[in-house]
Amino acid sequence: MFFEDIKLAVSSLLANKLRTLLSLLGMMIGVAAVVTILTLGDSASSSITASIASGGLDTVTVFPTTGEATTEEFTEQFGVTLQNEISGLATVLPINRSTALVRHEHESGTYTVMGVPSTYAETNNYDVAVGSFFSSLDNMNRQQVIVLGADVAADLFPDGNAVGQVVSLYRNKAKSYTVVGVMDAKDAGYTASYDSSVFIPYNTYVQRFSKPRVVSQYLVKIADGYDTLQVSDDISAYLDSIVGSDGYTVFSPATLAEMAEEITGTFSSFLAAIAAISLLVGGIGIMNIMLVSVAERTREIGVRKALGASPQVIRGQFLTEAFTLTLLGGLVGIALGTVLSVIVTNVVGWSLDISYTGYAVALGFSMAIGIFFGWYPAMKASRLNPIDALNWE
Amino acid sequence: MEHEDIGQAVVRLDAVKKYYMVGEFVVKAVDGVSLAIAQGEFTAIMGPSGSGKSTMMNLIGCLDVPTGGTIYIDGEATSGMDEEELAYLRNRKVGFVFQQFNLLGKLTALENVMTPLLYRGMPSGERKERAASALERVGLRDRMLHRPNELSGGQKQRVAIARALVTGPSLLLADEPTGALDSSTGLQIMEEFENLNNDGLTVVLVTHDQSLGMRCRRQIRVRDGHLEGGGEDVL
Repeated sequence: MFFEDIKLAVSSLLANKLRTLLSLLGMMIGVAAVVTILTLGDSASSSITASIASGGLDTVTVFPTTGEATTEEFTEQFGVTLQNEISGLATVLPINRSTALVRHEHESGTYTVMGVPSTYAETNNYDVAVGSFFSSLDNMNRQQVIVLGADVAADLFPDGNAVGQVVSLYRNKAKSYTVVGVMDAKDAGYTASYDSSVFIPYNTYVQRFSKPRVVSQYLVKIADGYDTLQVSDDISAYLDSIVGSDGYTVFSPATLAEMAEEITGTFSSFLAAIAAISLLVGGIGIMNIMLVSVAERTREIGVRKALGASPQVIRGQFLTEAFTLTLLGGLVGIALGTVLSVIVTNVVGWSLDISYTGYAVALGFSMAIGIFFGWYPAMKASRLNPIDALNWE
Repeated sequence: MEHEDIGQAVVRLDAVKKYYMVGEFVVKAVDGVSLAIAQGEFTAIMGPSGSGKSTMMNLIGCLDVPTGGTIYIDGEATSGMDEEELAYLRNRKVGFVFQQFNLLGKLTALENVMTPLLYRGMPSGERKERAASALERVGLRDRMLHRPNELSGGQKQRVAIARALVTGPSLLLADEPTGALDSSTGLQIMEEFENLNNDGLTVVLVTHDQSLGMRCRRQIRVRDGHLEGGGEDVL
């Protein structure tokens, strides 16, 4: 019976192709809007998350406050203290940074100079393009070696072949550093603009380049099996007790990623809810067309009743028709929304993240609308008096 | 009882009334009619328009429910039945043939004839088989896949007859079945009813046409909602 109803519904929808299309337009636009918004929301969210995650979701950076609130607590040794006090820290790397003029022959520029341990590149998933990152021995011996970010290398060595060359770093007076490596390009994170930085051993930095009062930042790598957000909270709690909440800032990409995800999620849900209103409007269009369809086929309903169709059967027939109509609208809308999402993500440059939730919501919603708005016309058809229906002109 | 010799009554009306309100007036379309139609009869319900004969047909066919009195179909009282039960009864017991054919325009002749069987939940293959044989019986074997708009008036009415027959009803109810046909085609349709009746089918023909009515074995005359004659003699 259901199969027969579907056949009947399809043939009756095909009999009025233009009308079917027009009555579905509102519905299709609504579904397409919901799917597009949810898919774009997901895509935006995962793109943002990916860019945040490039800084390493398992890292937390602690910035001592500079200026008046600076305390003397934040020494190189403090990294070890931190690691001893808080569980779940794989490594704590003290990092110093400042800016300086860097020159090679006639090329020069002002770049960020980072004094980092030899494990810095590995901790940050930061790859070497040519040569190598300096070693722990270089650090221990305060060697005057330097690794260049991709843009720095391109600026100072337009012809390439930087490794083995000597550059000058200006801090009061010029000092010579030997280039041992050039890094791959890497998108700037929240704690470093990798490509426009140069990297020298931590000990070289504090002994030979500039002796800072406190460490600029501590790069903390969370150990496997620990929750970054939890450990980040632990660090904050500990630092609160040592220097007070004004004395430091803790930054963790995971916190930011979660925040970004929450914001885009809330935002796209909000937009989808607005788009769902257009689905509702589309549903009213469906009801309208179903009422027309029932009125038009009054005589047919009378004949079917005379032949023994019960009210339930008639109701089923028209409900199936409304359901088929909205299912069709839902599927076309999903297709439209997907195409639109593909186009937009391509133009904006996000990676496409299909929202299957969006598909399910849109399809479920459109079927619910079919049943909800089809119910009244179907009831009306089922309650027609057979004689009146048969005599209807 | 006295009419046992002509078999069980397929239809029995017992003091049946149908009153309508039209504005402030009560129209007594059928006013206390009692009659019985026996198995195998060929009966004409005759009367001028407005006499109440169509209302009577609707009541007999279970398309309408009486205001008073009781209707029995195959010995079963229909009073108190709801729409579902009446639909079931129409589907099993009554075959309708209308003046305007009332075929479903989007369906082929075969699909039209299959439709009543659909409401029994019969599987498609069996429906098709039965519908085809019903169409063969009315001589439309080669027109099965045509739609109503590709058929002549006489052919349409034959499809309608096949649709009424296909369920194996106890009663064939025809409401002015020749009214929309030219006279020679009308006669052919009338012959079709006669043949069906000769095969044992109970036929009730509603008509205002005297000559058509007189071809039936029994005439029931209706005027102003009352029987003028032909109703009581079998009770």
